[in-house]
Amino acid sequence: MNSADLAAYTEGLEKWQAGSPPALLAAAEARPVYAARVEAMRGLMGALYEGGWGRYGWPEAVGGLGGSILYRAAMWDCLARAGVRGMALFEHLEILLPTLCAMARPEFSASVVPEYLAGRELWAQGFSEPTAGSDLASIRTRATAVDGGYRIRGHKVWTSWAGYATWCLVLARTGTPESRHRGLTAFVVDLRDPECQVDPIEQANGTDELAEVTLDDVFVPEERIVGEVDGGWAVAMHVLSAERGTFAWFRHGFLYQQLHRQLDLAAPHNDAAIGDALLDLAAVSATSYRGLRSHEAGIPLGPRAAFTKLLLCEAERSVNDCALALEPDLAIGSRDDETELLRQEYLFSRIVTVYGGSQQMQLETIAKQILQLP
Amino acid sequence: MSSSEFEEAFLESAREAFRRDPGVASLDSLGVWDLLGELSEAEARTALDCVFRAHGRELASTAALGCLMAHPYVAEDNIDPGAVAMALPRRSPRRGDRLMLLGDLSAEQVLIDRPGSGATLVPLRELDLEPVANPGRLALHEFSFDASGGRLAVPEARAEPARVRSRFLGRVAAAFEILGAAEGALDLALEHAATREQFGQPIGKFQAVRHLLAWAQCDAVAIQEVCQRAAELDALAPVRFDEIAKALAGRNGLRICERALQVLGGIGFTAEQEHHHFHSRVLALDALLGSSAELANGLGAWLRDARSDPRVPRALLDGGSLA
Repeated sequence: MNSADLAAYTEGLEKWQAGSPPALLAAAEARPVYAARVEAMRGLMGALYEGGWGRYGWPEAVGGLGGSILYRAAMWDCLARAGVRGMALFEHLEILLPTLCAMARPEFSASVVPEYLAGRELWAQGFSEPTAGSDLASIRTRATAVDGGYRIRGHKVWTSWAGYATWCLVLARTGTPESRHRGLTAFVVDLRDPECQVDPIEQANGTDELAEVTLDDVFVPEERIVGEVDGGWAVAMHVLSAERGTFAWFRHGFLYQQLHRQLDLAAPHNDAAIGDALLDLAAVSATSYRGLRSHEAGIPLGPRAAFTKLLLCEAERSVNDCALALEPDLAIGSRDDETELLRQEYLFSRIVTVYGGSQQMQLETIAKQILQLP
Repeated sequence: MSSSEFEEAFLESAREAFRRDPGVASLDSLGVWDLLGELSEAEARTALDCVFRAHGRELASTAALGCLMAHPYVAEDNIDPGAVAMALPRRSPRRGDRLMLLGDLSAEQVLIDRPGSGATLVPLRELDLEPVANPGRLALHEFSFDASGGRLAVPEARAEPARVRSRFLGRVAAAFEILGAAEGALDLALEHAATREQFGQPIGKFQAVRHLLAWAQCDAVAIQEVCQRAAELDALAPVRFDEIAKALAGRNGLRICERALQVLGGIGFTAEQEHHHFHSRVLALDALLGSSAELANGLGAWLRDARSDPRVPRALLDGGSLA
């Protein structure tokens, strides 16, 4: 892509931000109540969509304005530097949307993607089950072919943002129970269907991002199959390559700003820890930038995405180690929104090594597929 | 040939050249002196990075780093780039300010930078060099210098920008060399994990061992990516990115050696095993041009004092590295 276009985009967006649009100011406020954070971010995404900023980097066929992923990379970096606290529920823009654009039926993605980009309809990811965590291929949720589509029955857990979402990308078994990863298919379930029950899970950090989803013979028409029937593993790998590879770029901009905001409280004895966090962040910048460029060139990252995922987790931990050192109030408890939000972030940084494939699974991926150990 | 294929091929030729001859002849055969004048070209820059990575991987002992760092000071003077090596300053808590020459004594003149007073050139034979033993197979010589001697070769007005450039090039090159040496230690551990058997199977089948090695590889990837971005962006790199690259290389490089040693077990701690050569090379390079501990501390102090936003992601996007 033309780097002058990207520079013009960034300059234009910064100018828009400098006008202090109310939606931006709202998203920059500390909001410890997760639902309030989601609402503020929906408002911001709506404003960005309307102004066109949120449509760059997405294909025109799905309501975007075209251009490469670097536009999105620039947008989230600008938003982070303008004080927006995080992606709250729009993480899936960078985790699920690339897969929907690439693998969903074109008419379906053309109808739903603009709704997501504009913040009106949100998305959840229904992969994990009570007995299928790291061992994703052991999924039991069953999809049975019926006239015009499938009926899905099963139980999903740790379903991110299901309590807020309209749509859920569900991985279900269409093959025999022994078919493992070869007998899975990806479906888009409408969580508004009465056969879907969503029970939010209250988390240890006080938010309710996660939920359990019970699917009781919910009907999914054929046009909401993503990828091929029995080709769900390829869909899952496409999602995970974004979640482990490029997503780090979008997330880590907020970590730089979190570190930066805490500097007011720093003393000389914190210097080494702050410097160390900067090194971890730079490692994420450099590695995920390569991920962006690979994505742009259509070259899959494959197992190398595991490095980016591990490095992002290291940065999450070291930035939040600084938070704990600089703002010990977060350990004592919550008396104001700012501390409560920091406490949420700190506690979340202790579990980031689990979502999207645990740290141990990433290490195994590297050991087996890259180092080719016996 | 794609840029990554070029990189792979050049890295292999550089390793071969250093295996054939770990001294200055290898630099001549690789055309290193010509590269110094062509660093604005992406391929020349990649080739230079590979030279230093291979230098570490093969434990070569040339004066390449000193010559690279001297080059910005004397580039305009039409001096053969291999003829001048820069002495690296180092503060010894026991013995005060010292100057170090790295690698073979192939240069005829030594450049001594005196920040604030320009840089001096001294013929090598006039220096009272003391060899320093280091098992990293890198020849090291230490000396002290009386500021009244030598010929003022580069006035301060010219030395000042040259100093910034020299440090940037030197730190990134040293970081690539640390990467190469750490990869040498890691390769030994990988081979050991595949062949050494305990409890009736190769130890590389045990997750505890596999994860040590995977972490080491992850640390190596981080060095490589940060250094490559630094080299690609060059003058457009984020502020203090040379310090970030060097600090990260030292920190991660030492961690890689330590994890490799744990996998190797007792044999890795013997003189007959190669590990300690790589480990010593990383230790020595980490200690020069700002150690990882000093630099990380300094970066933290800089962020705290200046309340600066390092804007690393923005610089990468603006600079369009890898473009």
